Amino acid sequence: MKKLSLLLFIMMVSVLIAACSNSSNESDTSNNSATDTKETAETPETTEPVEVEFWHAMSDTHEKWLEDATAKFNEEHENITVKLVNQGSYGDLSQKLLAAAKAKTSPTIAQAYAEWMTDYDQNNLVVDLAPMINGENGFPADQSYEDISEVFRDDNTFGDKILGLPFNKSSRVLFYNKTYFEDNGLTPPTTWDELATAATTLTKEIDGKNVIGMGFENGLGTELSMWIEQAGGDFVDEKEGKVLFNSEAGLNALTFIDTMLKDGTARMAGEDGYMSGPFTRGDVGMYIGSSAGIAYVAKDAGDMQWSTTPLPKGVEQAAPFQGTNITMFANSTEAEQAGAFEYMKYLITPENTVDWAKTTGYLPVRESAQQGADWTSFIEENEPFQAGNAQYAYGFIDVRLPGSFAMKNAMQVELDKMLYENATPADTLEAMSSKAQEALDQAK
Amino acid sequence: MKLKDTAKAFLYLFPALLIIGVFVIYPMIKSFLMSFYADYDFFNDVVYRYGLDNFIYLWNDEVFHQALRNTFIFVLGVVPISIILSLWIALMLNSITVLSKFFRTVYFIPFVTSVVAVSIVWRWIFHSNYGIMNYFLGLFGIDPIQWLTSTEWAMPALIILSIWKGLGYNIIIFLAGLQTIGDSYYNAARIDGANRWSRFIHVTLPQLAPTTFFITIISIINSFKVFDEIYALFDGQAGPSNSALTVVYYVFNKFYGEWDFGVASAAAYVLFLIIFIFTLIQFYISKKKITY
Repeated sequence: MKKLSLLLFIMMVSVLIAACSNSSNESDTSNNSATDTKETAETPETTEPVEVEFWHAMSDTHEKWLEDATAKFNEEHENITVKLVNQGSYGDLSQKLLAAAKAKTSPTIAQAYAEWMTDYDQNNLVVDLAPMINGENGFPADQSYEDISEVFRDDNTFGDKILGLPFNKSSRVLFYNKTYFEDNGLTPPTTWDELATAATTLTKEIDGKNVIGMGFENGLGTELSMWIEQAGGDFVDEKEGKVLFNSEAGLNALTFIDTMLKDGTARMAGEDGYMSGPFTRGDVGMYIGSSAGIAYVAKDAGDMQWSTTPLPKGVEQAAPFQGTNITMFANSTEAEQAGAFEYMKYLITPENTVDWAKTTGYLPVRESAQQGADWTSFIEENEPFQAGNAQYAYGFIDVRLPGSFAMKNAMQVELDKMLYENATPADTLEAMSSKAQEALDQAK
Repeated sequence: MKLKDTAKAFLYLFPALLIIGVFVIYPMIKSFLMSFYADYDFFNDVVYRYGLDNFIYLWNDEVFHQALRNTFIFVLGVVPISIILSLWIALMLNSITVLSKFFRTVYFIPFVTSVVAVSIVWRWIFHSNYGIMNYFLGLFGIDPIQWLTSTEWAMPALIILSIWKGLGYNIIIFLAGLQTIGDSYYNAARIDGANRWSRFIHVTLPQLAPTTFFITIISIINSFKVFDEIYALFDGQAGPSNSALTVVYYVFNKFYGEWDFGVASAAAYVLFLIIFIFTLIQFYISKKKITY
């Protein structure tokens, strides 16, 4: 007992120390205003020096890249100083943006999911970028707005308004353990059937470990649109605000997941938080997760052989594209907005978007960049980066309706009953669809 | 003279009052008003209509009912066990002389450690494959329990964590209470031939009544307000299938997640009323029962 409490104590202290050192790192880096802006203007559009505040939720290597790029931008633009402010996790960022909007102290720009932008738009908190994009200081011809992949432009287009530019965009891909696959004569699955077979084959004892074939991330509720689209169904009609997934395809999707979980050939990330942990420990043979997880898997994998492959096909191929955009708040001066727009364009120049993607596992947002030699030769050498790149043709974006948060929450609550308890797929589908519809109606 | 004294007192109190006013009183009034917002523009502070809509919504909202149920289960699970356990430990600490300071510190550590750090450690303790909890239970032949990923065990896991966390504070208060009991009572009881148990029942417990009362009130209020532990233990979720959703968590979700500011305020006030009523009942009982 004494040993136990000692162990506990040591564990606690180490966690504390880790927590402290993390937070001090963050605060060190949150203030990154640099270059002096006293010299006269070179760019015609901004004559007065302006400061652009950018709230983000990037940490680690992601934040490092952002700092370097911003420092460079500040050097190149005499009159614009972009000040990065790290606001913690996406959840923290969202809460702080809400509080700031209420206090009328919003930053000039911030990272935001399209789902948040719906709320901002409803409350007239954000700026329509369309006039700037089409204006004389819009995108240069060789790196046009239209060059940005359609799926990312769609994510920022609300009716005839453009409320943001894409920045860190990812897709979902299948991570797999190469050694396990090769030793068992398997090739990366391209269809649901192959996925199920591979999961069954790999669910056994390997090197004294009880391996489970397939892994699902915890937020399966938010991933469900992907499974339903793959099953050939529709998720939600965004125009009508109508839930469409209570269909045969929906049932097939849930049954597919449920069967694997029930017969033990698949598991949830569960208490591990993210699948990258069990995957790099060799506890699971493969899992579906965000391509932005590549950096994390690479860090923990050690000498394990792994790669990614495009999502297997059900009835159809479908890959969700996720991640945040940069949106601009209305509570700023025109000069600040012009400066911020320069910066937003800068982050996704063909060179920068590729450089960003190489560092982080996010995807280049421009078509020219995705096809450019710089990127294609890079992914040739770095296999895990290929899968995400292959999925643009059948990419889709998440629903962006008022009430999306409540809808996903309600769906997850019902889905949990199937994932962790014994609810049948049919009952779960019924309950999920009615709760989801309720949440959407509530927000109308 | 009186007026001057009052003015002087006010001057001294002013800094504290200012802080309380800004961070406590104003939010209280504001959220009270907000709970009656029926149709409003939150960001520009325009209210088109006041009404009871938010309370009616809560009355009909199954999720809120679940949150209430869970909160009551949590309070019932934590408070009695925590009090009995901490009293027992306090009695033991009071009777040993060697190392008592050391143990007091050990028991107090959980209380002063950040909830998030504690919860992260407990997430490992509760881990179904690698956790020490299931390893321990395994020694007694008990099958691994899915502490964090089953709807039945999520709440017990949360209760265990919260009891452990609150223990140190209760023990310190109990120890202080025990120290105020004069030896003469025990000596008198001994002369009358009272054994250990009778001395505990007839001397210690009654003498400790005010302390116990204080701890009960504080524990109940704190337990009703549980939030951080859940957020950290279940990784930003309210347990599988909302099995650890409490009222404060519900308020948090409504406010920050769904931007349903009126309903969030209304739910907060329902919680306030419940705590208020409980505290009144306790004061009533204590007046009747505690005669020391």
